[in-house]
Amino acid sequence: MAQSENDNYELFVQRFAQHERDLRRFIRSLLPTWTDTDEVVQQSAIVLWRKFDQYDPETNFMKWACVVARFEALAYRRKMARDKLVFREDVFDLMADEGVEEVDTRRTEHEALETCLAAMPEKQRDFVTLAYTPGIKVKELAADAGSSSAAFYMRLKRLRRQLMECIETKTAQPDHA
Amino acid sequence: MNSFRFQDLTTEEQDWLDAYLDGTISPEAFESLQNRLVENAVLRSVMRQYLAIDDSLRDVGENGAEAATEPWLRVVEPEKKVIRFPGFIPIAAAAALAFFLGTAVMQWSSTDDEMGPEPSAQGFAVIERLFDASWAQSEPVRREGDLLGGEVFRLASGTAEIQFFSGASMTIEGPAEIALKSAWEAVCSEGNVRMQVPPAARGFKLQAPGTEIIDLGTEFGLSVRDGKGHVEVIDGEISVRPKGGEEQLLTKGAAVKLSKDGPLTPAETGQIEFPDTDRFGSRSLDSQIADFEKWKSHRDALARDERLIAYYAFDRESPEMPIPDLTIPRNPELDGSVILAEPVDGRWPGLKSALEFRRPGARVRVNVPGEFSAFTFATWVRIDSLDRVYNALFMGDSYETGEPHWQIRDDGAMMLSVMVDDSKPNPKAPNDAGLHRVYYSPPMWEMSMSGEWMHLASVFDPEGRAVSHFVNGEQVSTQEIEDKFLIKKLRIGNAEIGNWGLPFREDPWFAIRNLNGRMDEIALFDAALGAEEIAGLFERSRAGRR
Repeated sequence: MAQSENDNYELFVQRFAQHERDLRRFIRSLLPTWTDTDEVVQQSAIVLWRKFDQYDPETNFMKWACVVARFEALAYRRKMARDKLVFREDVFDLMADEGVEEVDTRRTEHEALETCLAAMPEKQRDFVTLAYTPGIKVKELAADAGSSSAAFYMRLKRLRRQLMECIETKTAQPDHA
Repeated sequence: MNSFRFQDLTTEEQDWLDAYLDGTISPEAFESLQNRLVENAVLRSVMRQYLAIDDSLRDVGENGAEAATEPWLRVVEPEKKVIRFPGFIPIAAAAALAFFLGTAVMQWSSTDDEMGPEPSAQGFAVIERLFDASWAQSEPVRREGDLLGGEVFRLASGTAEIQFFSGASMTIEGPAEIALKSAWEAVCSEGNVRMQVPPAARGFKLQAPGTEIIDLGTEFGLSVRDGKGHVEVIDGEISVRPKGGEEQLLTKGAAVKLSKDGPLTPAETGQIEFPDTDRFGSRSLDSQIADFEKWKSHRDALARDERLIAYYAFDRESPEMPIPDLTIPRNPELDGSVILAEPVDGRWPGLKSALEFRRPGARVRVNVPGEFSAFTFATWVRIDSLDRVYNALFMGDSYETGEPHWQIRDDGAMMLSVMVDDSKPNPKAPNDAGLHRVYYSPPMWEMSMSGEWMHLASVFDPEGRAVSHFVNGEQVSTQEIEDKFLIKKLRIGNAEIGNWGLPFREDPWFAIRNLNGRMDEIALFDAALGAEEIAGLFERSRAGRR
């Protein structure tokens, strides 16, 4: 690798690492599952590096990355368009247009989530962690605990909404009265 | 910042989002969701937020799985239930699964009906009742409902009833010194004690000088004075084991003297009068009546205080009647109308009623015309829980210039604010109704105080340039009113007790402010009462200790 390319690579890695979570959250809002999101994040990283010489370091990396990721997500969506949970194109466009503007909000909410999780009673937090552990099969889990998957989802839903409410409270302007 | 909230969605929309996340949404519902998304920007915004949280949680799940690898090796024993893992689950996830099966899921299956975060309190016992109790200066002042953990409970005089979480109940007459070891064990080094042990708490252990007493069911008395003990079995059976001696069973009617070195000597029964919970109850009622009478004369005197704006004690001749303003001379215009708030027992059960604001729509509406130069608000409340972000005590409806908001934040801090200028924006919070400042006390309430009556007072004093908060007659905070937040002409107008009538935003977390608890009385003054006066109000209106 030539020296300049080496520098370039370091700059890329640094910028990408800094924004990977933001980018993930943006892509997540466009696609039905985490697996889809993982794939598009990877594909986007490759394309971003390939096109990195077109990126002006003085400009906002995240804006540029969102443009690329949106295109990749759209291409991915077309491949799997027969899946019932894929957004129609009009919905997809609206979600992407507005999502770009909310990157900072998402980051604040993510920070609030950590606080909210920490404040949860331990057994509830353990339950949420378990439910979100990769590879977990709800049916088996529920059967082992002698319960139905419906009850499992019901509880997960309740805890998730509770977290959502907590985040909304935490991120709201603190001084209303 | 986006201010849309999950609760702004319809129930149908909320359910769609969950089903989409869980991959269980039907094709028809997904079609409806998409149609709604195109029309509704709020739904789109909330959905992006929800999806992002889902993504963040998966992050947590991944890390949780890694963290759980170690405990799995230690926790899961070979003879435990065999769990078959599909081959594709990564090792870390399998570990997490096995680990959590032992904890989270088992708890989940047994406690699926609990809702919301549960702030938990820890301890071995709770102080059930106190009668004429007093405390040495070096000791904490205990209150009914206080939790006791592994600590020494010292009572200077009076009587205390302690309920252990094992089910055992201990009535103590002071002076006494009891060390709590667990919900099943205590040490009595001084005092006159009656133990009542139901079947569930059989085996409760009480250490006395030189002797260990195990209650095998029902009731015994122990008196320890100057290191000398005396035990009497009132009912049932106990086992006593003197130091270095043999265990002995004592049955109903038996009595022994204990010594520090061990040997037991038979004693006569009936020499000592152990504290009696029944007598405790009836004496307590007598003292309640006396306290109530004392409060009534306080009330009648206060009603004539010329600085009073209004004074409500929530006693009515019938539930259809309005809540009378007690101020003399009487002005029926100031009577309050009760909406959904329920009459319940007040501080003197059976003697005086209070209002409960448990239901979200519960409130008392009042209209208080006039212009004031200062505010003092004082109330007796019993908070069951702080369910809302802001929990109302007394709130001006539209929060226009000069109107007060008196409430409690969910962390237990008291809040008092007055709108300074509703035509100017609040630089710190542009969403607010106008320029104002909230004066907070430090948190003064926590879950372990649930159900306890307390006296709260707050003073807004433009002349003295200060806002102060008081709990049970003691000042807990005071803050300066800065020039830019100074306002001298105060008003109330339409207002509500226990809720907020006209929120300027509709989000439920913001708008619903009913107090989950009871109010026994509330007084509003057009004056800044001093610290001594507030201490006096508390003293004269309290019910015994409360």
